[in-house]
Amino acid sequence: MKKFLLLFVVLVAGSAVHAQPNETLIKNATVLTVTRGTLTNTDVLIRNGKIAGVGKNLTASANAQVIDATGKFVMPGIIDAHSHSMLDTINEGTLAVTSMVRTEDVLNPTDVDLYRGLAGGVTTLNLLHGSANPIGGLNSVVKIKYGRPASEFLFPGAMPGIKFALGENVKRSSSPNTPGVTRRYPNTRMGVEEVIRDAFTRARDYKRTWDEYRAASAKDKNLIPPRRDLQLEPLVEILEGRRYVHAHCYIASEILMLINLADEFGFKIKTFQHVLEGYKVAKEIAAHGAGASIFADSWGYKIEAYDAIPYNAAIMTRAGVVVSMNSDSDERARRLNIEAAKAMHWGDLTEEQALKLITLNPAIQLGIQERVGSIEVGKDADLAIWNAHPFSVYSRVDTTFVDGAVYFDRAQDLARRPELAKERATLEQAEPNKPPARGAQSPNTPRRRPTTRTDDEIDELEERP
Amino acid sequence: MPKVRPRLIVALCTLSLPLALICLCVNGEANAQRSAIDTYAITNARIVTVSGPVVERGTVVVRNGLIAAAGANVSAPPDARVIDGAGMTVYPGLIDSYTNLALPEPAAGPSPAGGGPGAFLLQQAQARPSPGGPNSTQPVGLQPEVMVEDSIRSTGNDIESSRNIGITTALSAPRSGIWMGQSALINLSGQTPQQMIVRSPVAMHVSFTPLRGSYPGSLMGVFAQLRQMMLDAQRYRDSIQIYERNPRGIRRPETDRSLAALVPVIEGRMPVIMLANSEREISRALDLAAEFKLRLIVAGGREADRVADRLAKQNVPVLLSLNLPRRTTAAMPEADPEPMRTLRDRVAAQQTAAKLVKAGVRFAFQSGSLANITDLMGNANRTIENGLTPADAVRAFTIWPAEIFGVANQLGSIEAGKIANLTVTRGDLFDRNSRVTHVFIDGRPVDLRPTTPAPGAGERPSGRGGLSGTWTLNVNLGQGDRGATLTLQQEGDRVTGSIAGVLGSGEISNASVSASDEVRFTASLNIEGQTKEATFTGTVSANEIRGTVAVVGLAPGSFTATRVRPN
Repeated sequence: MKKFLLLFVVLVAGSAVHAQPNETLIKNATVLTVTRGTLTNTDVLIRNGKIAGVGKNLTASANAQVIDATGKFVMPGIIDAHSHSMLDTINEGTLAVTSMVRTEDVLNPTDVDLYRGLAGGVTTLNLLHGSANPIGGLNSVVKIKYGRPASEFLFPGAMPGIKFALGENVKRSSSPNTPGVTRRYPNTRMGVEEVIRDAFTRARDYKRTWDEYRAASAKDKNLIPPRRDLQLEPLVEILEGRRYVHAHCYIASEILMLINLADEFGFKIKTFQHVLEGYKVAKEIAAHGAGASIFADSWGYKIEAYDAIPYNAAIMTRAGVVVSMNSDSDERARRLNIEAAKAMHWGDLTEEQALKLITLNPAIQLGIQERVGSIEVGKDADLAIWNAHPFSVYSRVDTTFVDGAVYFDRAQDLARRPELAKERATLEQAEPNKPPARGAQSPNTPRRRPTTRTDDEIDELEERP
Repeated sequence: MPKVRPRLIVALCTLSLPLALICLCVNGEANAQRSAIDTYAITNARIVTVSGPVVERGTVVVRNGLIAAAGANVSAPPDARVIDGAGMTVYPGLIDSYTNLALPEPAAGPSPAGGGPGAFLLQQAQARPSPGGPNSTQPVGLQPEVMVEDSIRSTGNDIESSRNIGITTALSAPRSGIWMGQSALINLSGQTPQQMIVRSPVAMHVSFTPLRGSYPGSLMGVFAQLRQMMLDAQRYRDSIQIYERNPRGIRRPETDRSLAALVPVIEGRMPVIMLANSEREISRALDLAAEFKLRLIVAGGREADRVADRLAKQNVPVLLSLNLPRRTTAAMPEADPEPMRTLRDRVAAQQTAAKLVKAGVRFAFQSGSLANITDLMGNANRTIENGLTPADAVRAFTIWPAEIFGVANQLGSIEAGKIANLTVTRGDLFDRNSRVTHVFIDGRPVDLRPTTPAPGAGERPSGRGGLSGTWTLNVNLGQGDRGATLTLQQEGDRVTGSIAGVLGSGEISNASVSASDEVRFTASLNIEGQTKEATFTGTVSANEIRGTVAVVGLAPGSFTATRVRPN
């Protein structure tokens, strides 16, 4: 009994990492502001979760936490514009149009990948549905408040979004042909276009039906209302410009197809995801006003990824496209800084342009650029202190702040390890942990998600029936 | 057993034959009841009334299926059959608040003949037998109109096993589905299903388990479909109201039994029991209940203490599973160490009950599909060792579930006028050495099977010389037979063993053999590169075991084991 009480104390102490002073002063750092250049020997003052000051010789109140960051770098929290961390399920692949499903319903705030992301300086994620179908589910934009309930992760004011997908994953070119089993439509790129056109045609009709009902029911109380359709409601929001489309795509022809289709229905594609052939149609993407969220140098992992080049970021940036670098991988999420740095090597982007790929640009793509993405007074205090320039392969994160609170601290993490080892030893001796015996499985058996594959194709494979 | 069959036929007759015959049958039934002894007195016993203080020495009188009197100053009526309860404790009949008792076994999927690539998909594509109602508008798994009442039967080993440990009443819930259907509260004794039912329907049941191969095939889809159907039910109700007000000039709405079954749910007249164990599952259930103003009851509730504030605030009770998590597989030297979270959760699960009491969350115990129901009281004892008071543990088996299911006027305490369900033990209920001596259900004693073999009897006769030995195991999970060697040791009730072969190797767990020669065990198998928990259920006959293999995420498979060498 006593033993268990002790355990409980340890558990509580472990989760109390972010009991924080409401003021923190980071002294004498090199600050990568993203929007106002690189400032040396500069202080950053955090108050009540916001950046309250950026400058030299700032002062804070007496009870503020002061961090000497001499020789260190402060950078805005990295924003990963394409992630599937934290999701208990990624694809609803049974239908071609699943706009009724919401990633928000399946958030797992205890996913350890979140903590690993924080350790890589990541503070915001765009959690997307997988790429199993032309119109996928609704996204969630979250701040990584690891240790807090899922509801507190949701980024207030972020634009609602949705996942679309084109190409090989959608037409299931990697699915086996099984005699007697009908493959899910569509099976060609033509079919993909038709599915999306059909869905928006239905959404337009749906909107009209409701508009007519609302007008008529004012006069006639005996009208039976139309059915509410959770599949079509998000598509109406897209048509009305109230929801961002994040479209998984690879090749130039399908990118142009979707631009034309969106123009036909009068909506905008907010971002093209992966978009490895974006460099071929950069002007068209820019003209549509879409952004692009890409990998630095992944290619050749399937037919539609053969024409990729590492200059993609640079070419699209110069064409006026808002470009971001995403991870689409729990593993790559921890080193997005290096992915951005590659864009300086391939195509000679400036340091500021490269930094924007993982900070301000993804913020713009998610509609949160007023809140995060750069170090400016008034913005959310989502930032990380690095021990070296984040574009160096030798850099690592010392401390990560979200809304001014510390959610990762390397020194604290290291200090806790002996204590955790002790806890483990005690737990292993606890009766329920002694093998083997009768009983149920733990509810939290961790999900095994492959971390080494690129592209969300893997997510489709994982969940396919 | 043979005595029961004609009665069943009688019961069926009453349902389907003309009036004259019905009268005949009912009369026969009534006479049979009248002639039986219906008055009992348990004297000199300790009485745990639950509703009042414990009576250290008193008498409980049962008459005509009800508790007639109970207390220190009650004497046995002259016509009563008297049981001397000296040294015994009388409890209200225990209620298992979530089971699949009295339901037929789920049909195993067809085993494909060929195997090879594609057989698995082909098998999935084949239609599964429908437990649902005819003319449903919804696929199997999304049929809220399904009622347990329609499929329960009054016999079965599972019922007997539960009675043997003192369970008199159980919530029988549908086995599977998203909208799983509607449960019934049943007494675990009766000639017919109709006699068993205490209350039906009790609640609508929901699990967040995706369908296989069709929408919704993911957890996200489950929530979307639950929402959509509740919205559809609202519109269905409104449409019918508008139509019935003035049908002229309105196209009549189509009838829909699935949506009609949801109307009492969305109006808060029928509670919804959602299966949720982890903190986030319970949070999702609470969110959905708040969104649609549902009367939620959480079943499972392993981490309910972590959401206790919300449960208390939304007044959501928990049917807390006593299927406590344990490490089920042997630690293999090459295996990764288990995550800390898993280790912590197993320890924490034992403390949930006590924490719920402290937080003011109402709860009742349930067996949570324990592999072996005889573990139930031992596990309850663990929650007592971890801070739950024994008195609250008794309440969680009696008056608390009765309150949660709205039957506190009929069950849950020893009070005059309540249904005479009683559990009598020698020794304290939660004491490992205690024994259930008598069980009364609806005022009648039920036969209890001896749970321990007679001294000196050696191996159980049911095992036909025991299961001990080396067996050749063939497992078919839809991709052809795969062989392994199964080694079993049986000593009395205890079955242990190991498995070795292409499917991986390791200890088996949860192993048991029943009096009816049913063998169960689980093993970790290596299936397509993933380690998965497989549950084997089969029947022994001499040197062969045949049965089914259930693996989460796969269609049910089959297995045979042939004994090559006895031990």
